[in-house]
Amino acid sequence: MQSKIRVVPLLLATLIVDFSCSSLLALAQTSSENKPSQDQSKSDPAATPSSDLKPTASDEGQLATVNNAKIPAYAKVYVAPMPAGFENYLIAGLRNKKVPLTVVVDRAKAEYEISGVSESDKAGWAKMLFMGSQQSNELASIKVSDLRTGAIVFGYSVHKGNSVRGKQSAGEACAKHIKQIVVD
Amino acid sequence: MYNKRRVATILVALVLSVVLAEADDAKHQATSSKIPKGAKVFIAPMPDGFDTYLKDAIKKKKVPVETATSRDQADYEITGTSETQKAGTAKKLIMGNWHSREEASITVSNIKSGEVVWAYSVHQEASTHGKRSSAEACAKHLKDAIEK
Repeated sequence: MQSKIRVVPLLLATLIVDFSCSSLLALAQTSSENKPSQDQSKSDPAATPSSDLKPTASDEGQLATVNNAKIPAYAKVYVAPMPAGFENYLIAGLRNKKVPLTVVVDRAKAEYEISGVSESDKAGWAKMLFMGSQQSNELASIKVSDLRTGAIVFGYSVHKGNSVRGKQSAGEACAKHIKQIVVD
Repeated sequence: MYNKRRVATILVALVLSVVLAEADDAKHQATSSKIPKGAKVFIAPMPDGFDTYLKDAIKKKKVPVETATSRDQADYEITGTSETQKAGTAKKLIMGNWHSREEASITVSNIKSGEVVWAYSVHQEASTHGKRSSAEACAKHLKDAIEK
């Protein structure tokens, strides 16, 4: 009788453990199915977006050009206002990286427009304590559109987990990649 | 006779290459033109009053420009942004750093043509004098961009 009493809780515990393990496995499977990984999108052609944007390999960001579109050198470009004044960092980056474009302040005089978003996350106490890093986390994404046709000719996004020079680094990264599509 | 023709061809080719190179330089200068000495500059209002720091820095670094009080009287306009993050408790205790983190970026544009002629951004992880340091960095580099 005593042995039967001992067996019942053991069985119950086994059932609970089994149930929790199977539910965890199922959860892990569904999350991996829902999460779009870069490798999957690269290998599966059906997973790529239907637009003309072509992803290109980059060091720290994602780059996309439309049908290998190019911007002529010294084209007039208007940099639209962005959150936290990121447009100023981008213009400074264009100058620093010697991108052969003419930046204008009036949108009506421009041939191309650069617009985008940026975000900064300052290092918290946990990052300082465990990682020993006080550098910020920078995110920025820009797109270049042709004002005459309205087509987006270029897109680039950058993410720096430990940005040594904050927004300046992100702005310069964007400028460096814009330079790739400018032709003399 | 043959030698003379050869020399003439080489000379013509050299002259052509020099002319083309100069034309290319002139084209490039249109995008990165220098600011003339004594130009009237209007400093547009910036976040956290960074324009005030920039005005002081321009005077301190003896930048050869005149600061105009109105945009209508100016030839160039300086616009920009700045951000300050004071050292938090974690930075003070863990990193042993009391100094603030400064970021600033300025753009100089020609009011008449509407073209951006110069831009600069500065980032100081531990700025000793806060905004003053970043404004002086901007002014120092602006001085280099002005024609001597």
